[in-house]
Amino acid sequence: MIITKKRDVKKLMENLKNYKSLFLIGCSECASLCGTGGDPELASMKEALEAEGKTVTGTLLPKTGCQTLGTKIELKKDKEACAAADAIIVMSCGAGTQSAVEIFPDKPVFPANDSLFLGNMTRFQMFDERCSLCGECVLDKTGGICPVTACPKGLLNGPCGGTDNGKCEVSPDIECAWVRIYDRMKKTDQLEDFKEVLKPKDWSAGRKPGTLNTREKKEEKK
Amino acid sequence: MSLKSALESGKFTVTAEVGPPKGTDIKKILHEAEMLKGKVDALNVTDNQSAVMRINSMSFCKLLLDMGHEPILQMTCRDRNRIGLQSDLLGASILGIHNVLCMTGDHPNAGDHKEAKPVYDIESVQLLQIVDALNKGKDMMGNDLMGSTNYFQGAVVTPEANPIEPQMMKFEKKVHAGANFFQTQAIYDIDKFKNFMSSARKFPVKVLAGLVLLKSAGMANFMNKFVPGITVPQILIDELKEAGKEKALDAGIDIMARHIKQLKDENICDGVHIMAIGAEDKIPAIMERAGLL
Repeated sequence: MIITKKRDVKKLMENLKNYKSLFLIGCSECASLCGTGGDPELASMKEALEAEGKTVTGTLLPKTGCQTLGTKIELKKDKEACAAADAIIVMSCGAGTQSAVEIFPDKPVFPANDSLFLGNMTRFQMFDERCSLCGECVLDKTGGICPVTACPKGLLNGPCGGTDNGKCEVSPDIECAWVRIYDRMKKTDQLEDFKEVLKPKDWSAGRKPGTLNTREKKEEKK
Repeated sequence: MSLKSALESGKFTVTAEVGPPKGTDIKKILHEAEMLKGKVDALNVTDNQSAVMRINSMSFCKLLLDMGHEPILQMTCRDRNRIGLQSDLLGASILGIHNVLCMTGDHPNAGDHKEAKPVYDIESVQLLQIVDALNKGKDMMGNDLMGSTNYFQGAVVTPEANPIEPQMMKFEKKVHAGANFFQTQAIYDIDKFKNFMSSARKFPVKVLAGLVLLKSAGMANFMNKFVPGITVPQILIDELKEAGKEKALDAGIDIMARHIKQLKDENICDGVHIMAIGAEDKIPAIMERAGLL
């Protein structure tokens, strides 16, 4: 999921200084699990804005905020509340915020959260980054642990000299990705694969902006 | 004599590390380089070591070359992508620099520009392969070069890394990627180093034992606590302590000289790489006491 954290409230209030009435959009998926855009957060944001003298014209918790068309359809029932708002606040990730930008061509849209990374929820409200969306998966060669993400240097061929008792030179809070990979490949009897020199990554595979169309192409009309 | 010839001749080879300063005043480092002329076989010039921004390695290598030194260009993957690295390798080659030490490089987090975007587009093993390709007249994409490079390429290894197994597997990858020589992280326990060498000797590469000059017991304790892969045995820390504050550096010089002598006399490795870290003026004294001058 996309891991988010709340933006500095002062910065958000600075964004909103010229706008009085606001409509709030959360997200039932990642942002709800992160505690940044579910029902309780929408309610407390409404309260905080009203304490600042703002008017909240309405709120919506869409099923999947980054599904632009779906969110647009869900918003139909809030047509009047949206129309009455000077600006929209989106309490999900940067993708959810930009769904709103597309849905509201004439209104300013502001993010309530910072988007951090694609990660796993390891325990309740504890998140770890697991995938860098690099476009060319190496998990088949690295015992299923991603060094592009788990190693601060993204090394592909083993640990650097900074590994110390299985910890990373960047921080003792980080487990050395390559020690983890070695230990796992040893257990799974895959150490032969460790010996293979991985080639430099093809970064063009993850070139921005990414786009993908998996629809079957319709036959062109003659 | 080139580093390659020195190592291949079977001579016990001595290289020393010099770190260019932060700023353009190079009087001190030029003076130190002058002192080492005719004494060491090569000078190894760091590449923004510890991720602290300084004069680049290539410019200083060129000055050393003009002085009659044999320079080794350190090249890390932290600050340049594959285009920049290859371009600098071609550039250093036309300046007459023919030794390169390929390393991953300390993370920006260690240095004085912590907010920098780390590059690591490629890493040490791949950089060695790239140097090998440039030597054969091709860039890493297989495009023909108009004139090839002629590098003698080296790599680094940490003999006391914990755990050692993945480190040794990477060492082997570096050998296969084309490393001709290795420079090790600082070692202080010669018996442990012999164990490492018994593994390293299976490969056709030259090994320079890395030696960092101990200046005080405090420095030794600091390295034990904070520098990964370095262990200073307690017996050496006691030796520095007993020497007292004023004589600690002298004791450190003794320790290094003793280690060099043992490494050479027992033919444990092919030479040493001396890291004096700010006390480069003591290198001649170390070499004298080791019986090398």
